[in-house]
This record gives sequence, C-alpha cells and structure tokens, in this order.
Amino acid sequence: MKNNEMRQQLIQLGNGAHALALQMLGNTDDATDAVHDAFVKVLRKPGGYDAKAGPLTPWFLRIVRNQCIDLIRRRRPGDVAVEELSDPGPGPEASLQASQRDQGLRRALASLSAEQRQIIVLRDYMDLSYAEIADVLEIARGTVMSKLHRARMALREELGRHD
Amino acid sequence: MIDDKQFVDKHVGELLSGFVDGELTQQQRQLVMLHCDECSECREHLDKLRELRKRIQTASLSEAGEDKWRETMNDPMVELTRGIGWLLFIAGMLAVLGVILAVFIFDDGISVGMKLIMVAVYGGLATLLYSVLRQRLIERKTDKYKDVEI
Repeated sequence: MKNNEMRQQLIQLGNGAHALALQMLGNTDDATDAVHDAFVKVLRKPGGYDAKAGPLTPWFLRIVRNQCIDLIRRRRPGDVAVEELSDPGPGPEASLQASQRDQGLRRALASLSAEQRQIIVLRDYMDLSYAEIADVLEIARGTVMSKLHRARMALREELGRHD
Repeated sequence: MIDDKQFVDKHVGELLSGFVDGELTQQQRQLVMLHCDECSECREHLDKLRELRKRIQTASLSEAGEDKWRETMNDPMVELTRGIGWLLFIAGMLAVLGVILAVFIFDDGISVGMKLIMVAVYGGLATLLYSVLRQRLIERKTDKYKDVEI
C-alpha cells in the first residue's frame, strides 16, 4: 500500500479509533494521545502493515488498543472516572442541539464493562465484521456474537434508565 | 420477567444480533425468520436491536473530525523533515571541519607543537560539546513532562 493511500485511510479511521480509545481510557485528551501515538508508530514503519495479512482497519485499531493498554498500565489507580467516558464535544450550544440524545447513550455506555463498550463501538459505530472484531479484541471469533448480544442487552437496559 | 437463560431456551437469543448484523449462516437465518414469524416477542426484540444499532451509528461518540487527524498526522512528518534537516546540517558541518582540519594539518607554516596544542584545545571543546549534547538528548527522551505547556 502506498504511503499517501495509507495516510488517507488512517485519517478516515481517526474518529472511530478515537471513539474506541475514549471508551477504554475515559478521557478525551488521553484518547487523542493514544490515536496520535498509534499514527506515529504506524507512519514510522509503514512497511509493518502487510495487506496480504488482512485489512488495515483491524490492524490499526489493534495498535490503538495496545497504546490504550500501555496508557492504562502507566496510570495510577483511580485516574479514570466513569462519568468522564464522554467527549465534551464542540461547545454548549451545538452540544445542546445535537447531543442530548447522544449524551444519554454515552452515559449508558459508561455503565457497561470496558469490553462491552469496545465491542459495541467496533460493531455498531465502526461497522466492523465479527471476524475483524475478534482480531482487534484478540478473542475467539465464535464468542463475538454472544458477547455483542449481551453488551447490546445491557446497553438497552441502561438506556431505559438514562433516557 | 424471564432471565437470559430462559429467553435463549425459549427463543433464538443471540442469533437475533447475528441476524441484524448479517453474520448468520443460511440455516441460522432461516431459523430466526421462521421463529420470528411465530414469535411477536422476538420480532419486537429484533426491531429494538435494529433501532439501537441505528442510534449508535448516527451518534457522535467522537467529535474530533478529520481535520484534527490530518493535523495530528502532520506531527510525524514534521519529525521526519526535522530529522532530515539535522542530518544534512551535521553532514555539511563535518565536511567543512574535515577540510579545515586537513588544511591545518598539512600547513608547513605551523610548527608540530602548535598543531598539537590547537588539536588539544579544539578536541577538548568538541568533547565537551558532545558530552553536553548527549546529556540533553537523553534528558529530552526520558523527560515525561516535555510536552507540558506552562
């Protein structure tokens, strides 16, 4: 894959990767750092990606996820507040118009476990296939459907409380 | 209220998620469709899953935007060009120093003693400069607060 082509694809993946990192780290600045570090890592060695081994998206998201895990390991206990698991967005006015509904969703997502949040973002927000989700989360492909279903059920229940 | 186990036994459970996502085999799809023809509870469940998926798809879980990522991506480019710039500068300086050193060594007008003194003075200066630069580079790499703006 040509470098420019890869850069363009990575830019398009930025938001999804940020949403995933946000669900793992609970803080928008840390999530931005994780995505940025993943970009640096990938672009320093673009040859590290082998197109024959699979699509770019799960490969890149796995790197983002590993960056997040590194950040979590470096953190002191108690650094993440569950309430922070949302992006504050562009500003109060736009936020009020567009994201009152989204805020309910974010709060409901924040009540789920980290794995449930990730699996929902990967499937429903980023539209990854079950095989790709298994690849990113490094879990058996056969367990994706049941984990996702449980996560959706839990989210629906939480939404009932938050809406 | 029925729990998860009872629901799976009686209904198609997680297959509904697979059905919404288009991840079932032909046989499983038929099973879900046949079941949903008869079961209003699962039909309702299916609609709610579709609704939920649509809501997440259209939600804004990250509002950074592509421009931000384009900017972020420029950072490694800056690092790369800066690296190339430094490399060229150091290579040029080394070439100039080499020429000066050669002219100085082969100049018959300067005595050997003076040459040795000059080599000691400049050699000492170069060693000190190298030592300071090395220390600064190590500090820069290991300083976890280097990105903190005051």
